[in-house]
Amino acid sequence: MKTPPIAMPATVPAVTSIALLNLRRVFTDRTNIFFVIVAPFLLILVIGQLSGGGQQLRLGVAADGAGPLAGRLVAALGSGPRITVERVGGEEDLRLAVERGRVNAGLVVPGGYDADLAAGRPVELRSLVRPDDLNAQDVAMWTRSVVAEEAALVRAAQFGAARGAGSFGEVLRAAETSSVPGIEVRTTTTGDAVFPEGLGAFAISAPPLLLMFVFLTSLTAAVGLVETRMLGVSRRMYASPTPVRTIVLGEALGRIVIALAQGLLIMLGSALLFGVEWGDPLGAAALLVVFSLVGGGAAMLLGSLFRTPGPPAAIALILGLGLAALGGSMMPLESFGPTMRTLAHLTPHAWGYEGFAELVRHGATVTAILPQLGALTVYAAVLLASGGLRLRRALTS
Amino acid sequence: MPVLEVVGLRKSYKDRLVVDGVGFAVREGETYGLLGPNGAGKTTTISMVVGVLARDAGEVRIAGRPHDTAGRATKSLIGYVPQELAVYPDLTARENLRFFAGLYGIRGSEARRRIGEVLEIVGLADRAGEAAGKYSGGMSRRLNIGIGLLNRPRLLVLDEPTAGVDPQSRTSILDSVRRLAGDGTAVLYTTHYMEEAQRLCDRVGIIDHGRMLAEGRPDELGAPDLEAAFLQLTGRELRD
Repeated sequence: MKTPPIAMPATVPAVTSIALLNLRRVFTDRTNIFFVIVAPFLLILVIGQLSGGGQQLRLGVAADGAGPLAGRLVAALGSGPRITVERVGGEEDLRLAVERGRVNAGLVVPGGYDADLAAGRPVELRSLVRPDDLNAQDVAMWTRSVVAEEAALVRAAQFGAARGAGSFGEVLRAAETSSVPGIEVRTTTTGDAVFPEGLGAFAISAPPLLLMFVFLTSLTAAVGLVETRMLGVSRRMYASPTPVRTIVLGEALGRIVIALAQGLLIMLGSALLFGVEWGDPLGAAALLVVFSLVGGGAAMLLGSLFRTPGPPAAIALILGLGLAALGGSMMPLESFGPTMRTLAHLTPHAWGYEGFAELVRHGATVTAILPQLGALTVYAAVLLASGGLRLRRALTS
Repeated sequence: MPVLEVVGLRKSYKDRLVVDGVGFAVREGETYGLLGPNGAGKTTTISMVVGVLARDAGEVRIAGRPHDTAGRATKSLIGYVPQELAVYPDLTARENLRFFAGLYGIRGSEARRRIGEVLEIVGLADRAGEAAGKYSGGMSRRLNIGIGLLNRPRLLVLDEPTAGVDPQSRTSILDSVRRLAGDGTAVLYTTHYMEEAQRLCDRVGIIDHGRMLAEGRPDELGAPDLEAAFLQLTGRELRD
């Protein structure tokens, strides 16, 4: 072979080539497909469902042999925006349906419901709930309010019938159409709601999980950097005419691009699959980019500190989940006490959480989240600088 | 003019002197064997020669130009084949070659041409689309060497290129090295296998405790073979 003229690698293509290779290696690794692509959406779905996101609550009703009054009650129960009434054959079937979670709660309307009410006798409705069904209390509360409204009408009808104002049925119809001033509670809200009304449960669950997965995936990808060094590939890169700063930049950009890709996947996927609205696009993009810089920096530091992949893999998992828990990605930050909330702000997740909360829940724009962006930029700068320097030292010594 | 000139190379780690005044030269088309037991200072010397380790003192010249860790122009004249299999196991041979070609500034149609050329030289053309992790030890070694040939180096540095490979692959690797030297490439070669060095190297340097003990053609070292010469000079077997 003849010696060719000397070719020098240009910085931008070399940096891009190293970065894209890192991205490709993460997203084509079959073991990563579940954790990077499937798991985030699965968790958003599960946590969203647990918080009642987009879910119709089911009330099972056993009303065998009941008459028109029972029918009215059942119709009223089914008029709620999130309640679907399912008719179940008998009390035993209803008990099984509740036990097996086919319905969130059950209501037994006795066969003599109509006759007992018309005769002025007390009627007992039995409510069945499973203690571990988080939505059962919502259904039971709705049932109590519908029954109380129905009971008020029935009592009025019973009272009128007893006073000779007509038959029970006549007075009941009259009571339904009359407008009698009653007692009502008027609620006035002050301040901003932590979770504004109408906000979907997925809009609450998706942002913290995005932060958790972006950071976790970044740290996990740090293992790739350790492997690259362990295999001698980094040393081989350094032996090429590509300068060491280009290699470090390429590796750093690779980590950042991995974090960004993970975040974008969750953002777009959750918008398409669960209808999550991420608020001001500029603010959401800025927050994602800055948080990805933090994740990339953490990955650089972790990946340059170790020579074998075992310890960083374990640390990635512990740090990724631990910081997420402390920073509000597993339990809402609003449920923390004051001390824990202060401690939470030692993590970048808490700043990201607050930023997304402003954007998603309160419709804020990028200017409103400047403090959060600033704090995250400091994290990113410190981590990227120390990770970059550490990697440079590892390559050249 | 030698392609590689090494003069008075020194390197210490803290208080430990690991390379102490090593010097040698490799001419165009020459295969030079750097021999020594583990810990003799071979890898440290090679690391300074290829420019991945800064030296404390001494000089390295590649094709007459001063060379150090920042020497981009001189690094582009060197092909480095490290002892470890420095390839991405999840990438195919072709993808590995394309990635490293990019690091030498070789792109586009030129890269495709050189990759094809290298795959032919190392005998992996028909397996180029397979992940490197699925290769046998010998095939991996050949890919490792192939990467070192991408830039058509004037100096090829091979650190134990036949370690742990089957006899067939070893023969193939040695034939490739001979052909490259025949084409004018200067080759710096380290090995534990004395008979390999005896067959392949035009000249050898024997290094121990960071010092060059002897240098010359294998038949000039005053012993029936390299194994005996090494024992005479160091008082121990090469693989001790």
